[in-house]
Amino acid sequence: MAHVSVPMYWRTIPQRYRLVGHKCRKCGNVNFPPKGVCKYCSASSDFEEVQLSGRGKVHTFTLIGAGGAPPEFAEQEKAGGSYPVTIVELEEGPKVIGQMADVNPKDVRIGMPVRAEMRRIYSEEGVIRYGFKFVPATEGA
Amino acid sequence: MALGISGYGVSIPRFRIRKEDYTKAWGSFAAAGVNEKSVTGFDEDMLTLATKVSRRALESVPLPPAQVSRLAFASTSAPYTEKLLSGTILTGLGIPNETFASDHTTSTRAGTEAMIAGFEHLAANPSGRALVAVADAPTASMWDSIEHGMGAGAVAFVLSQDDVLAELEGHASYASEHFGERFRPREEERLHDLNVKKFSEGSFVTNTTKAASALLKKLGRKPEDYAHAVFQQPDARAPASVAGKLGFQDPQLATGMVSAFLGDLGAASAPMGLAAAFDASKTGDRILVVSYGSGAGSDALSFRMVGERRSAVSVAQEAARKEYIDYVQYLKLKGAIK
Repeated sequence: MAHVSVPMYWRTIPQRYRLVGHKCRKCGNVNFPPKGVCKYCSASSDFEEVQLSGRGKVHTFTLIGAGGAPPEFAEQEKAGGSYPVTIVELEEGPKVIGQMADVNPKDVRIGMPVRAEMRRIYSEEGVIRYGFKFVPATEGA
Repeated sequence: MALGISGYGVSIPRFRIRKEDYTKAWGSFAAAGVNEKSVTGFDEDMLTLATKVSRRALESVPLPPAQVSRLAFASTSAPYTEKLLSGTILTGLGIPNETFASDHTTSTRAGTEAMIAGFEHLAANPSGRALVAVADAPTASMWDSIEHGMGAGAVAFVLSQDDVLAELEGHASYASEHFGERFRPREEERLHDLNVKKFSEGSFVTNTTKAASALLKKLGRKPEDYAHAVFQQPDARAPASVAGKLGFQDPQLATGMVSAFLGDLGAASAPMGLAAAFDASKTGDRILVVSYGSGAGSDALSFRMVGERRSAVSVAQEAARKEYIDYVQYLKLKGAIK
């Protein structure tokens, strides 16, 4: 299992639960996940916290099927079958990786509008690790 | 300024199982009037659902999370039995850490209990904004017939004294000592029910009619003043017994009868019925909501519609977004096969 210790996970909660990003004060680009140095201008560590909308479009995706899931997701695959993992281009610019939920894997398409919401990612040492997944963006939701 | 509800949001997990699948597996289906029910997905729990409906409720106003001054979460099936639960929701939404957050658990009355806690906050803090999130997916042993009706769903309300769509006219409660119905001793993993039907029905009817009639008396209202009446729905037949005693008619119950297609939503049962009534109400309509929790207690709340602003996602829309699963898939999702 890709072990992430409790303190390490805790430090990244704002980005994992509700997509808090870093806007570079020098070049104006949004870094997500937050970085030590801006990945766009490589010249600044001066950031402003921004709440991302969680809205975006599927840039590309793949399906993880039997035997392909990492150990922390093996049980999920067994219970629910293969699941989509997408790279989503967020409204604010960054491309982020995340699972897609609430969708039949056959219905995932490049370009489909999605929205992030908090889900159970996996659980380790009895602690539920929450984080974002993408779901199809329905009207108003 | 009127105290009331200024926004709401609902969410129903997309999986459904039909009563026929239970009949195939067990030879019978014990939840009267329930045709199908909702089931949570593998990566959902009451905190993820509560966070989702809270966001929907805030957006329906709209109200920025930073302005929430009180958060109350209710569920009988939260993922932890000890640990602050509302802290997860607060963090998931970006509500200030200084906001007083509370958890309401251990009884299916918890949903209305959280609503009353929210209203009490507003009575003391007129410019406050309370967020009440109720999510429930009660769980029992697959061998117990009370399990048959248990569904899943979540509802959130934004309470304020400003720009309300439903004004709170008043509330009343009744609490008493009853036992043997729907209880879980500390050392047990699952709910118990001694299946003493008459005794349980007696508790249900007594507590709900006492709370409801106290409220009607306090407000000087009669059943016919209400366009919609919502009662706790352990199944789709239970409300009729209470409604009949109080003098409400079937058409008043129809709008809020969500258990027929969602099952027993536990603490979210009466709140989901209220949301369905909001979806259908006109300005001037009165709505009575009566919850029940075994043990036992009941809260009754009376609302008057003063606006027609809807949530962006209605109960009917959420109910229509579904995917059927069979009984074996159900057992896997419920974690009944380890």
